[in-house]
Amino acid sequence: MTFINKLKDFAVKSPWLYRINGGSCNGCDVELATTACIPRYDVERLGCQYCGSPRHADIVLITGPLTRRVLDAARRVYDEIPDPKVTVAVGVCPISGGIFRESYAVCAPIDQYFPVDVNVPGCPPRPQAIIEGVAKAIAIWRQRL
Amino acid sequence: MTSQIATLLAVLLFPGGLFALVLGLALKGADRRVAARLQGRVGPPLIQPFFDLIKLGFKRTMVPTEASETVFLAAPLVGSVAMLISAALIPIAGVYAPDTELGNLLVLLYLLAVPGICLMLAGSASGSPYGAIGFSREMALMLAYEGPIVLIVAAVGMRTGMAEGHWVTFSLTEIVRYQQVHGWFLFDPIMWPAVAAFAFFYPANLGIVPFDIPEAETEVLEGPLLEYSGPALGLFKVMSALKAVVVLGLGIALFLPLPFTGPLAFVGWLVEIVVLMLVGVTALRVSAGRMRIDQAFVFFLKWPLLLAIASVAAVALAAGGAS
Repeated sequence: MTFINKLKDFAVKSPWLYRINGGSCNGCDVELATTACIPRYDVERLGCQYCGSPRHADIVLITGPLTRRVLDAARRVYDEIPDPKVTVAVGVCPISGGIFRESYAVCAPIDQYFPVDVNVPGCPPRPQAIIEGVAKAIAIWRQRL
Repeated sequence: MTSQIATLLAVLLFPGGLFALVLGLALKGADRRVAARLQGRVGPPLIQPFFDLIKLGFKRTMVPTEASETVFLAAPLVGSVAMLISAALIPIAGVYAPDTELGNLLVLLYLLAVPGICLMLAGSASGSPYGAIGFSREMALMLAYEGPIVLIVAAVGMRTGMAEGHWVTFSLTEIVRYQQVHGWFLFDPIMWPAVAAFAFFYPANLGIVPFDIPEAETEVLEGPLLEYSGPALGLFKVMSALKAVVVLGLGIALFLPLPFTGPLAFVGWLVEIVVLMLVGVTALRVSAGRMRIDQAFVFFLKWPLLLAIASVAAVALAAGGAS
């Protein structure tokens, strides 16, 4: 058992990130891109890697207030992600709806539809905050492995 | 019996199998680390690919309902095994020479095509439209680069064979031995077109950025690998790590084997393979954008093929002039 735990300690150093854009204004998506591309915030030093396919993902980052149009697609993509996975809501929109709150066209807050583990508030959140959120998600992911 | 055990050890332990896997993953790690440094980032630890592989072992393998399950799951396995065998076919100058019963350069050429074919099968068996696009792109790219590599190998084989008194040799061991005595083909002006063509070929075969069109994650979401998850995806990672060792090892054996023996030769070989990886793959990867499939296809049918034909012609003419 200790050997398996040791292996899990290694496995947890390779969290692959996947972004679901739930009708976001792209502000948060730009901030997510900075965590990958700007040398100062390099998220790859945590072993993270943005991957193109939901099947490769470990940590899901959801941005945007989840518009009605995108709800079905987002839920289908979310189900494609193999377990164990961790969900992070990035930005204030998925948490409460933000400026789109009480609009007829959005389904925020998204925790009605997805089991959100970490909230990263902000409009948009700072890259440091996103990286902290990812670090917290990694800690949760370790328990689920 | 002992030779069979030796062959088995060569495939499973050294220089194939475990050794090639560890070396390939370390090369991938060095590639990612140096790429990050070239972009001014900190980058992942050197052993990141090992973590990735362990992680994939803990994930679930999902098979899409539209997929053909047998082919979908067999493709990564076949590709990895083909690469394990071909890693045992690569000689390390002064350290290891492959058993002639295991195969020669021709067998190696066929085995080198297997990972590409496995990716095509995987893409088409996954039942995903992105996989199908990846399949067609992989096939176009393979058609474009398989011609040059055959001609490069023929040029090197003819150069060695004619110097040794027969027509052409397909024994990598003989090619390595000839160069250990007479100097690298890298410094032989007649072989320069072949060297240049090989320099174009290996980034395409390894599927890195200017030529990673079949797996372009921003266009076709990693193409054939899109539907893979968990251990099956891990096997594809193993396959590509082994492929890096095989292709770079082939380059070293064809053009620049070291004239030493013993530990020095082994360390020198490791240095050569790391330098080839960092110069030919990492530096290229971070400094180039991705080509379109039609551009890459035309490019490969134009320059590397032309260079490879020129090199075969040059070798033939040089031999004709000498006799």
